[in-house]
Amino acid sequence: MEQKILIVDDEPHIRMLIEQTLEELEDEGVEFLTAENGEIAFDIIQQESPQLVFLDVMMPKMNGMEVCRKVKKELMLDDVFIVLLTAKGQELDRQKGHEVGADIYMTKPFDPEAILSKAREVLGLQ
Amino acid sequence: MPKIILKNILSKKSNTEALTLLLIEQMKAHISITDEKNNYLCGNTELVTQYEHPVKLHEEIIGWVKGDEKAVHIASLLALLVQKEFDRKNLGSEVLVLYQEVNMVFNFSDKLAQAIDPVAIAQIAVDEARHLINSVSGVVVLWDETTGQLQIPATSGSDLFNKEKLISYADLLLKIGLSGQSEIMSDLTPLKETGIIGDEVQSIIYAALKVKHRIMGAIILAGDKTMQYTASHLKFLTTLALQSSSAIESALLYEKNIREALEREEAMRRIYEVTAKFVPYEFIGSLGYKLITDVKLGDQVEKVVTVLFTDIRDYTSISEQMTPEENFQFVSSYNERMGPIIRNHHGFINQYLGDAIMALFPESAERSLAAAIEMQQDLREFNVLQKTKNLPSIRMGIGMHTGPLVMGITGDNDRLDATTISDAVNTASRIESLTKYYKANILLSEVTLQQIQHPENFHLRYLGKVQVKGKQSSIGIYECFGSDSEEQIDKKEKTLLIFNEGMHHYLNKSFANAIKSFESVTDVNAEDRTAQFFLDNSVRHLQKGVPESWSGVVEMSNK
Repeated sequence: MEQKILIVDDEPHIRMLIEQTLEELEDEGVEFLTAENGEIAFDIIQQESPQLVFLDVMMPKMNGMEVCRKVKKELMLDDVFIVLLTAKGQELDRQKGHEVGADIYMTKPFDPEAILSKAREVLGLQ
Repeated sequence: MPKIILKNILSKKSNTEALTLLLIEQMKAHISITDEKNNYLCGNTELVTQYEHPVKLHEEIIGWVKGDEKAVHIASLLALLVQKEFDRKNLGSEVLVLYQEVNMVFNFSDKLAQAIDPVAIAQIAVDEARHLINSVSGVVVLWDETTGQLQIPATSGSDLFNKEKLISYADLLLKIGLSGQSEIMSDLTPLKETGIIGDEVQSIIYAALKVKHRIMGAIILAGDKTMQYTASHLKFLTTLALQSSSAIESALLYEKNIREALEREEAMRRIYEVTAKFVPYEFIGSLGYKLITDVKLGDQVEKVVTVLFTDIRDYTSISEQMTPEENFQFVSSYNERMGPIIRNHHGFINQYLGDAIMALFPESAERSLAAAIEMQQDLREFNVLQKTKNLPSIRMGIGMHTGPLVMGITGDNDRLDATTISDAVNTASRIESLTKYYKANILLSEVTLQQIQHPENFHLRYLGKVQVKGKQSSIGIYECFGSDSEEQIDKKEKTLLIFNEGMHHYLNKSFANAIKSFESVTDVNAEDRTAQFFLDNSVRHLQKGVPESWSGVVEMSNK
């Protein structure tokens, strides 16, 4: 099965940065999908079933929390691994993130190495 | 350099180049696209090709478009897409590098913010710098302005710097560059010749620690590979150094403030300590204050206390044989022994009056009497010492009385004094002077005795009544012989009943019987000078007779 990573952030440069961070995975055959808001992200998750989603919390049109809740609690898609991206200083969101079923949380500014190794781990690529 | 794979471009789904890809899709029947190794990617596999057009990125062939001569346009279009993707990735990786730097600086500041101690900050700075700029060894040097010397608050990694030499060659360090810039050092010879760095070191990079234009020191990193450091390392280290400088500066300021605050506190504490020696803390505490600075003119409090007076007998004649300096020495060494005893029994010295001491015992009369006994016993030891120094031994009388006493602050606004005003003070003082008269060491009034819960512990004898001059009433006086030698205590206890009989006869003017009693006391104990005193008095009264109104009350007039 083809492996897919969905990158969701309303800021284009963050999307590009994450894509760039994960570039070597693309060469290994992983397909990258991107979305600029929660609604689009939710549609893509339903259609494409990515294995891994990097999901920004603060977004227009359905925020990351809501997307996560719908995916995990309504669609019950347990095999979609969701990484919530919260801004530094908003760590309080973590409790809420846990409630909506997020798998892990990372803070922005993110550590590129951590993002890459997490992606490898989730996709089972060494 | 980002690597572009033609396959990835052709498989892009959400792409702005969708139109181009659509065109390729349309042309599929007429062309075939392969990668640089001729692996088929898309198009017509059956195609018999006339032409092969390379798809190039910077003169490098990354794939082929096969078909007729028109296929060259597809190749050009693909080349454009490839170039665009290349540019995008190139930009992306540059931004990523910057982002990583920002991230590192961010984390670095975060760590710095958690430390307030300059040494800890220096340690974080050198550890992080060494880690981020991949170096085998690192050191922070700081210029200490107060000592005018270099200090090394932190090192990191392997021990490639010789710390002693680093410090001692401050001039050299300044000459070869540590003068406020940041650089990658080109010539390591002087550092190696002086032994500042080991031979393993191949590269040195450093950045100055400075605030505004003042140079505080530097972060120095050493690498074991030649040409290890690049301009971007230097830029990065400079950024870290800048961050660390302000953190260290604030920490030093903070430390200085704390130190100064502590010094001020210490100075205040010493002032309090000294003033507490002039005015006892208990005195201030009695007024309801904690600090002497709170005391004001007119403050006063009334309490029932036991007043204790001591006086050195015949001090005038003793002091005449000494120089003023010797006198002072003598009184000081005497007071130094007596003061602690009084405090140990929870009393406090209200005043030193030359050879006399006035102490107050607010807690209990027992404490006061216990102190008196200990003071007399201690005086015996003092006298042994006096003897070894060939100095005169001394005797001291102690008198005690209990009564209400007003402690207060009197004086004027510019000169305050802690004063006690009380009848009890006068009476205690006069009782003390009676010790000479009765040849007793310790005397206490009946008022004090009444406050003592277990008088049986103290070896007491009743000595009759005295009248304070100018007062109507008289008070009973007791002698305490508890400070005598064990032998004396023993003898006085054995003769106590006869002594008391003697006193009874004496006060009832039955002097012949009194003489009998006191004689049998002195027969047993020739050293009982108080019994001897009453014996002599009885003999005199028997011979000369006493007035009808005589009641044995002694009038205290002297003093």
